[in-house]
Amino acid sequence: MNFPENLKYTKTHEWISVNGATAKVGITEYAQKEISDVVFVELPKVAFGAIKEKGAAVVESVKAAFDIYAPVSGVVTAVNKELESNPGLVNQDCYGTGWFFELQLSDPGQVATLMSAKDYAAHIQSAAH
Amino acid sequence: MSSISDSVRRLPLHARHVEKNARIGQFGNWEVPLYYTTIIQEHHLVRQKAGLFDISHMGEFFVSGPTACDYLNKILPRSIEKMLPGQAWYMPLLNDQGGLVDDIIVYAKAHNDYLVIVNAGNVDKDRKWFEDHLIPGVNFKDRSDEFGLLAIQGPASAVIMEAAFGQFYTGLKNYSFAAFGEGMIARTGYTGEDGFEIMVPTAKLDEIWQVLMRAGAKHGLEPVGFGARDTLRLEAAMPLYGHELSDEISPVEAGLSMFIDWTKTGDTSRANMNAVKQSGPQRKRVGFELVGRGIAREGAEVTVNGQKCGWVTSGAPSPTLGKTIGMAYVSADLAVLGGAIDIVIRGTPVPAKIVKLPFYKRK
Repeated sequence: MNFPENLKYTKTHEWISVNGATAKVGITEYAQKEISDVVFVELPKVAFGAIKEKGAAVVESVKAAFDIYAPVSGVVTAVNKELESNPGLVNQDCYGTGWFFELQLSDPGQVATLMSAKDYAAHIQSAAH
Repeated sequence: MSSISDSVRRLPLHARHVEKNARIGQFGNWEVPLYYTTIIQEHHLVRQKAGLFDISHMGEFFVSGPTACDYLNKILPRSIEKMLPGQAWYMPLLNDQGGLVDDIIVYAKAHNDYLVIVNAGNVDKDRKWFEDHLIPGVNFKDRSDEFGLLAIQGPASAVIMEAAFGQFYTGLKNYSFAAFGEGMIARTGYTGEDGFEIMVPTAKLDEIWQVLMRAGAKHGLEPVGFGARDTLRLEAAMPLYGHELSDEISPVEAGLSMFIDWTKTGDTSRANMNAVKQSGPQRKRVGFELVGRGIAREGAEVTVNGQKCGWVTSGAPSPTLGKTIGMAYVSADLAVLGGAIDIVIRGTPVPAKIVKLPFYKRK
């Protein structure tokens, strides 16, 4: 599976792409495969105050709903509206057009608590066995 | 030593599902294949070509003996004495209060010789029900562990069945069956498509699975999991026990009145059923389409003007219709086609409208 080196990861299978004081958030290839067909995405509203490790969005498969957690705290500055009409982008391009929302970080220091691609790959290995 | 709970059971063909990369999940006490590719892909396959399901979790009861017909006639709501050999009848199994113990299919092999197929999750409860009502002259046997069941469903089912087993079985009419070795083949299913269900001794199951897969290869046949089985039956508005049906729901509320012989007298729960029929049901099973965004899940509240008036029993995106659909129980006065209701999803009422069932009917 592909876990890009330039991203940081959570144990709950979100990725974050940090660019200065802002960051984009999405879910990993492992997560989209586990969920299978993504048929619905509920995004936060712009200006929503996301709190690290608390729910910020919802992804639904045919069978179930999954909470997507904010990897770090921050204020939502943009959301990927495309997902409302085309939720399958999460399956097709989870690190690109399938992104969820963008945050203005409230504490950039929190990024250091997240996993590298290598650590995340190891986390998945240990969770699977 | 392994600590796997012995209450979770595996299908006889479990290894074959794993070999086919199935995502395994739990359905009641059974580990079953949820999907092999994706639920949506498998759903479309059954609507357009054909899919093969392993439904060996289902229960098989055998009822025979000189008073078998009288016995079933006494405890079942349809007139069993009118069954002709080779007929398969769907019906509710009712408790003394007129609620549903289960929904079942009775197969008449001959007068006084019947097969009953029951839901996996209800095998123990149903067996107790049948045994508690036994009368002399009936031989009742739960042989669920000895038989497996496969279902082939979809428009290409008949041509595949003919390639696999010849023309005899493709001559079967809907809801009829014929002997197949120690088991049987019936023209029945749970998807809203043409199809067959094939019951064989467990030891024969793998051979039959392979015969069907080979015969179906050039018609696009692939295994289909329990995920698509659920969305297919939802589009066809077929009730699922534990969702639309329960010990507390009456068949009149569930919309199963047509599977009751209302001219009958004297069978168990008859008085209660007649009472519900006469007073009219308090609540009714309806279908709905979401008008707003979201997916209505089982257990979600149905409200009108903020007042609770029912609950969702099943809900999913419909791959065939491209809409979010569901079934619910609502107060009888609200069960009107086109009626506006709200489904509460994560605390927010989402507009929906009541629509005609089934959502999908094959041409």
